[in-house]
Amino acid sequence: MIGAAPILLLIIAWFAATGPLGLIAPLKFPSPAIALASLETIAGPGYASAPLAEHIETSLSLVLAGFAAATLTGIPLGLLLGTSRYANACINPIFQLLRPIAPIAWIPLTILWFGLGGGAKIFVVWLAAFAPAVINTQTAVRGVNRTVIEAAKVHGARRVNLFFDVTIPAALPGIFTGMRLSLQACWMVLVAAELVGAYTGLGHVMIIATEDLDSGMIFVAMLCVAMLGVAMSLLLARLEAWVLPWRR
Amino acid sequence: MSEIRFEGVERRFHRPGGNFLALENICFEVAEREFVALVGPSGCGKTTLLRMAAGLDFPTGGRVLVGNREVRGPGPDRAVVFQQFALFPWKTIRQNIGFGLKCKGTPLTQRREIIEHYVTLMGLQGHGDAYPHQLSGGMQQRVAIARSYALEPDVLLMDEPFGALDAQTRVLMQEELVRLARDNPRTVLFITHSVDEAVYLADRVIVMTPRPGRISAIIDIGLVRRTERWIDCEHIEEVMAQKSFVHLRSRIWRLLRGLESSGETVGRAMETGVG
Repeated sequence: MIGAAPILLLIIAWFAATGPLGLIAPLKFPSPAIALASLETIAGPGYASAPLAEHIETSLSLVLAGFAAATLTGIPLGLLLGTSRYANACINPIFQLLRPIAPIAWIPLTILWFGLGGGAKIFVVWLAAFAPAVINTQTAVRGVNRTVIEAAKVHGARRVNLFFDVTIPAALPGIFTGMRLSLQACWMVLVAAELVGAYTGLGHVMIIATEDLDSGMIFVAMLCVAMLGVAMSLLLARLEAWVLPWRR
Repeated sequence: MSEIRFEGVERRFHRPGGNFLALENICFEVAEREFVALVGPSGCGKTTLLRMAAGLDFPTGGRVLVGNREVRGPGPDRAVVFQQFALFPWKTIRQNIGFGLKCKGTPLTQRREIIEHYVTLMGLQGHGDAYPHQLSGGMQQRVAIARSYALEPDVLLMDEPFGALDAQTRVLMQEELVRLARDNPRTVLFITHSVDEAVYLADRVIVMTPRPGRISAIIDIGLVRRTERWIDCEHIEEVMAQKSFVHLRSRIWRLLRGLESSGETVGRAMETGVG
């Protein structure tokens, strides 16, 4: 609840700066009234060739697909790299070579591969979300307390027991940290991907609104991204609390 | 057959700038169902000796045998209780106690029976479904001891199990351990910093000196305990007030300070130690 106060202050400042004080021109940043009007336009008749619900659906499904792909591939690879020195020696150099390339830099190539449809964007989102999932899982596996592993061994744990009863649960908090960072990376890179080329989606709304000099509509699209991002992070936090009851 | 035998054990560690000799010519035996305590200053290699018996570390010279077989790795016949408890934070108390049984493949119904037995024996009723972090230090250590006992190991290796507990809890746990050892005797190798604890619990106390770790004396406590009938005392402070206890304690302290010549006791160790 403490978090609500600064947000409330920010909204009041917004009202004041754009309204009575006249500090910011409406073209630079919309007043609450303009933003609300833009919201009514996009929610009702629609904007940039589709209503808001459809834009949200496009963006949300791309994020979910990319995030799911990154989680399902990144976590197993992280577990492998964390447990096997051999796999680490083979795969890590490739990983290190590709990492400095920003996910967005892949967009031109992926458009050549997949066209302007969903495929290219899911690929780029996957690429951005993959690295945090792999790195955090690997670090978490490496950091499992030695004494706890020894305790398991002296009580008769074999490789299977060690992996499922010790390594995985001990690494889960770190894995969840990776998932949180992955999710953030998903939203950041998705909007960038949609800016480059799309038919619907929140990034696409921003591009069209820029051409229309419609600061209110840009603001609405940004706000939607923020709200969806926060909502998904909250859901993930719920899932974490449910999966890790021993951390409470 | 569950005696532990150290035969001329030597342990060197590789350090930058050369080898470091941690243990030199360690010879002693813990007989079946005997309780032996190792005392000595930090760095004398007590923990390394215990880890060798557990199969978590290996000698660079000599041999470590448990039940006449050389130790090649950890095994369910030997359980370890660690100073920092080393419970599984993600498992409930019941799951922690049952971990070894699960690894062994004990059927679920039988496993449950054994778990409930130890939950009751250790006074953990009402906490079976709690997680370790919700329990006090003393309770956590009881869970760790139960986890080891549940496997019914022949050998129990305890590395300063009460070192992290406050004084009061520590005394309660020591009394409980004496009760457990009496009702359910095992071959025990017990490491401690506390001379009082060693004299109170052990049949024999082995005093070590550091750099490199060597045995300086082996003191027989069991004989005194039996003849002076310490067992009649209900509480630890009564035992500690006995003249025989005070005498043994001061003797070990003098050995640790290096004031008493230990020739006589070492001589006896040679006779009775490695057979």
